[in-house]
Amino acid sequence: MSGLLNWILWTPVIGILAILLIPSKNKMAIRYTALATTAVTFVWTILLYCNFDTSVAGMQPDFLVKVPWIGDFNIFYSLGVDGISMPMTILTGLLFFICILSSWTVEKNVKAYFALLLMLQSTVFGVFFALDFFLFYVYWEVMLLPMFFLIGIWGGENREYAAVKFFLYTFFGSIIMLIGIIALYYSAENPVDAFNILAHQGGKFTDKTVMLFGSEWAFNKLFFWAMFLGFAIKVPVFPFHTWLPHAHVQAPTAVSVILAGVLLKMGTYGFLRIAFPIFPAAAVEYSTIIAVLGVISVLYGAFCAMAQSDVKKLVAYSSVSHMGFVMMGMAAMTTQGMNGAVLQMFNHGTSTAMMFLMIGVIYERSHHRWIVRPDGSKGYGGLAKHMPTYTTIFIIGMFASLGLPGLSGFISEALIFLGIYERFTTITVIAVMGLLIGAAYLLWMYKRMFFGEPSEEVLSYSDMNYREIAYMLPLCVAVIVFGVYPSPILNIMRASVGKLVELMAQFQ
Amino acid sequence: MTINLLTNLSFYIPEMIAIVTMCSLLFMETAYANNERRRTFVYVTGFIGMLLCLFSLYKNLGIDSQGIFANAVVIDSFSTMMKMTMVIGTLGTFYISHKSIDIYDELKSEYLIMAVGVLVGGMLLASSNNMLTLYLGVETLSILSYVMTSLKRRDHLSSEAGIKYALYGGVTAGIMLFGMSHLYGLFGSIQFPDIIAGIKALEGFNIAVILSLLMFFVGIGYKIACFPFHMWSPDVYQGSPVPVTAFFSIVPKIAGIAVVARVTYSFFGTENMTTQVWNSMIAVIAALTMTVGNLSALNQKSVKRMLAFSSIGHVGLILIGVLTFGGKGMSSILFYTLIYTFMTLVAFFVTTMIVNRTGSDDAIYFRGLAKTHPILGVSMLIALFSLAGLPPFGGFIAKFNIISSAVGQGLYTLSVIAAINSVISLVYYLKLARTMVFDDADGEAKIESYSLASRVYVIGMVIPIIFLGLFWNNIYHLYSSAKIYLN
Repeated sequence: MSGLLNWILWTPVIGILAILLIPSKNKMAIRYTALATTAVTFVWTILLYCNFDTSVAGMQPDFLVKVPWIGDFNIFYSLGVDGISMPMTILTGLLFFICILSSWTVEKNVKAYFALLLMLQSTVFGVFFALDFFLFYVYWEVMLLPMFFLIGIWGGENREYAAVKFFLYTFFGSIIMLIGIIALYYSAENPVDAFNILAHQGGKFTDKTVMLFGSEWAFNKLFFWAMFLGFAIKVPVFPFHTWLPHAHVQAPTAVSVILAGVLLKMGTYGFLRIAFPIFPAAAVEYSTIIAVLGVISVLYGAFCAMAQSDVKKLVAYSSVSHMGFVMMGMAAMTTQGMNGAVLQMFNHGTSTAMMFLMIGVIYERSHHRWIVRPDGSKGYGGLAKHMPTYTTIFIIGMFASLGLPGLSGFISEALIFLGIYERFTTITVIAVMGLLIGAAYLLWMYKRMFFGEPSEEVLSYSDMNYREIAYMLPLCVAVIVFGVYPSPILNIMRASVGKLVELMAQFQ
Repeated sequence: MTINLLTNLSFYIPEMIAIVTMCSLLFMETAYANNERRRTFVYVTGFIGMLLCLFSLYKNLGIDSQGIFANAVVIDSFSTMMKMTMVIGTLGTFYISHKSIDIYDELKSEYLIMAVGVLVGGMLLASSNNMLTLYLGVETLSILSYVMTSLKRRDHLSSEAGIKYALYGGVTAGIMLFGMSHLYGLFGSIQFPDIIAGIKALEGFNIAVILSLLMFFVGIGYKIACFPFHMWSPDVYQGSPVPVTAFFSIVPKIAGIAVVARVTYSFFGTENMTTQVWNSMIAVIAALTMTVGNLSALNQKSVKRMLAFSSIGHVGLILIGVLTFGGKGMSSILFYTLIYTFMTLVAFFVTTMIVNRTGSDDAIYFRGLAKTHPILGVSMLIALFSLAGLPPFGGFIAKFNIISSAVGQGLYTLSVIAAINSVISLVYYLKLARTMVFDDADGEAKIESYSLASRVYVIGMVIPIIFLGLFWNNIYHLYSSAKIYLN
């Protein structure tokens, strides 16, 4: 069992090697290899879930991996999983499996496409497992390469601009983060732990760094913001979000799903794993700013979504809005708030993945995404009459994303509001408005797309086929089951989140 | 004295091998008829000579640091490692020159002779311990460089670049010599140890010393093409044949950096006014060099010119390592130069291939390269991403080491500037990358000179970039054990 994390991390790489050996003409074999790889990886993550000890607050001792990598710098290949990274691991395993299925219709350069998707999966796992700063950073950056090519080669009309913008934004944030990481390296009390993420947690710094910066607080402040920048661009929080709509709209369906479903969570995961526990004093001090930025993201994202006539852009902005809730939940620093934030990370992953996949399904038929075309005429309309299966699944995804009680989004949002109410009452009241606007833009979109009489063009679309239904089903189940019974996820995260909340409470 | 000289000579074997190689190449050039067979012969001789040189340098790593030839030349592991990188760079450009149509067939052996000559100058420069040897090194390096620039003599750009280079070089060498003579006047010696002692004894702000040191820096600054002495470099890089450009961005730069590092570290070891002035000057120059280089590279259409500006940016980054030489700076400089050599070789080899096909190095001719020539395209992508400093490639580790040495010494402003510059540099690297990957090629133009050996060469150059990005412990350990001789 102890090597399970290694298996999860490296199975996609084995898959890449296998794909590279298959001649590029043999497209079916490549697709099935990719599917098998992600299926096996998903089974590994389930196995990890089954063997997860929910009573352990820290890293699961059974799964720790620590091998020296660069001795002179005390860099270790060290992996671990706890209650915060576990939900993300399952999400990654599931979404990539679904994405491979949804990419069945990709015909352009199939070999490179699936190899890059698998590479992306491996790096995402790496980010969630890494317990060494250097390893974390390497995975964080390497992830940009497959994303750049996936958006740039297989994307929409304006794909090159979107790919470059995405790359540059993230790179800027992460290189500032790198300076923070190096500063932490020098602040380590014990040189062996210089890059150890866990050893830095707790907000204690050595006298040496304090001497350099005048006070522990100055060090805290400076490098909290360095880390903040790196993660906030990834989330993305309000002023740093401008890359997101471009990347989402231009990316192919599967990549949008991964981007919204998993990659955005890497940002909030970074806050929970690095920025908050390592700089708790600064995090507590600036929690108001984080909460305010969160609520701005909620409202701004929602308003932007309302104004969109491109349905994919609408969902992209709704992601900004929903990630704002996660930021608020984290800023609350209460048990409910934090639990809600982590749960929202998971739930948003499933519900937004559904939305993007459904948009992908309709895009394959219509080759446009206009709710209202630029000339003012209707893009879709009457889908409900013509495509009943599509409509049903779409409704489930939409209501999950809207936060309808009984579906997954509701529970996490409710927890976040419960958690944040005591600390930031005004912000909570404002943020609830975000829910209302969220309902408004989703329902309005639904009305325009699904009601009315279908046009002739719409009548030519076929309803969902079995492959499409097959990959939507697991998400539908997840959205409904975790909406009624969220304990399977809440249980695994409870101890770890509790530990984090305790740590933060010491600094309040 | 005679015996002493002979024992000294035994430490000077690498340089002597290089000189012998150069002379035998020269002999072959004149003795044989100019045909394909002789050219093969010349290349093989040059190759073997450089390998021997590399091997003897490796042997030299083990010996203690010491001054030889009446302390005019020092042998220490820092300079030996820098020389090894230079030899690797020279060897790498040999193959590029063999492939390039930019160097006329009848001049190929001349390229080799002059490259080895520049290498000898660079090696002398890297281990000079007094003003005279330093100047000798600079001039050996420069005069041959001027000729190399104009090697493509039927091309007016090349001739123009040669003249420009020579004029600039002459002026800066003059200023440097002027500064040196002042230093001699001030301290009464041309030996570095005496000057070091003199600077140590200084108190307060001595304008004469600072001015003459600045003049002295002009000459070296011109060689490494740092701001504000970088103006020659884009024109010279663009005008020169591609292999020469590759050579210029490696060997003279590394030699110059070795000198700047040695001078900065040994002259300014003590905390006094002069040290502060010099160090802040280097810091400002480093920041400006990076920024100016990268900003100028943004809108270049010629890939050679783009790489020239980007190499200015890289020099700025390496200068941070010079500033932190006492800490982790030395090992990070050594690491950076090694990786930089491989990245530059790959980038220029691919450029050579494009120039061979189209006669121009304009970025538009790179369109669709990743599709028409996957190995070349992917290698170029790796080189570009590595130059930009992305993991898991060696360029990231190099940049990481530099930034970590800077943060270790508390140079936060410089490290933030370096970080922002990485982002700027990524803009133009990505621009070329997207041309190669996202755009479609114009027709199915195959590169005729792209042979099996070329594939082997380019893969052989890419492997170290990846390998040193993942498993850099051993080489870093070796580099951090390097010593610099101070006496």
